[in-house]
Amino acid sequence: MKKSKICDAEELRLQWLVNFKLPNYWKKIGWALLSLSFALIILTKFLDGDFSVIISILKKITLLGLLIVVISKEKIEDELMENLRGKAFSFSFIIGVVYVLVQPLINYLVFVILKPQKARFEDLGDFQILWFLLIVYLTAFWFLKRRNA
Amino acid sequence: MKNTIKVERAILNLTQDELAQEIGVSRQTINSIETNRYVPSTLLSLKLSKLFNKPVNDFFKLEDND
Repeated sequence: MKKSKICDAEELRLQWLVNFKLPNYWKKIGWALLSLSFALIILTKFLDGDFSVIISILKKITLLGLLIVVISKEKIEDELMENLRGKAFSFSFIIGVVYVLVQPLINYLVFVILKPQKARFEDLGDFQILWFLLIVYLTAFWFLKRRNA
Repeated sequence: MKNTIKVERAILNLTQDELAQEIGVSRQTINSIETNRYVPSTLLSLKLSKLFNKPVNDFFKLEDND
């Protein structure tokens, strides 16, 4: 195979990967997964017993649901939507980094004020960071869409 | 950059929705372009040019601060 053809094929594969999105109907599936897993997490709080493994799985399903919503196409996915997605991603990324840096500090200060004996500096968990990033992305994207309606 | 898409659309007697369907975008996109909130890509500009049967420069104008 010629070198130029190999480069073209690589480029096509890269473009497919970068622009990959699920069809619009996946959005409903994503919301359903998210709602169901979130409701079950809440439910476990009211039940007795050790649900740590189940909660851990449910948290992953929640993130999966959110991810599906994020990468599902709009009803009409055109260049404006691509543009708004880009803006929402960059905004959520910046806010996410700031959140990771600032939130543990705020948690620590709140504990110092309210319960000094329990005050400990702890970094955020992966679920909390990813959940925050995806939620901020969805909120920013929704706001930008509304602004452009 | 300012544009006269609204005028060109009126000349062809098209609604935002109809224009959007002609060039394969959403009504939102046309509205955003008309209100100068979004600058379209070269591809979309050329589609508009083809539809209006006019050069792009006729309906997109650079402003002093561009």
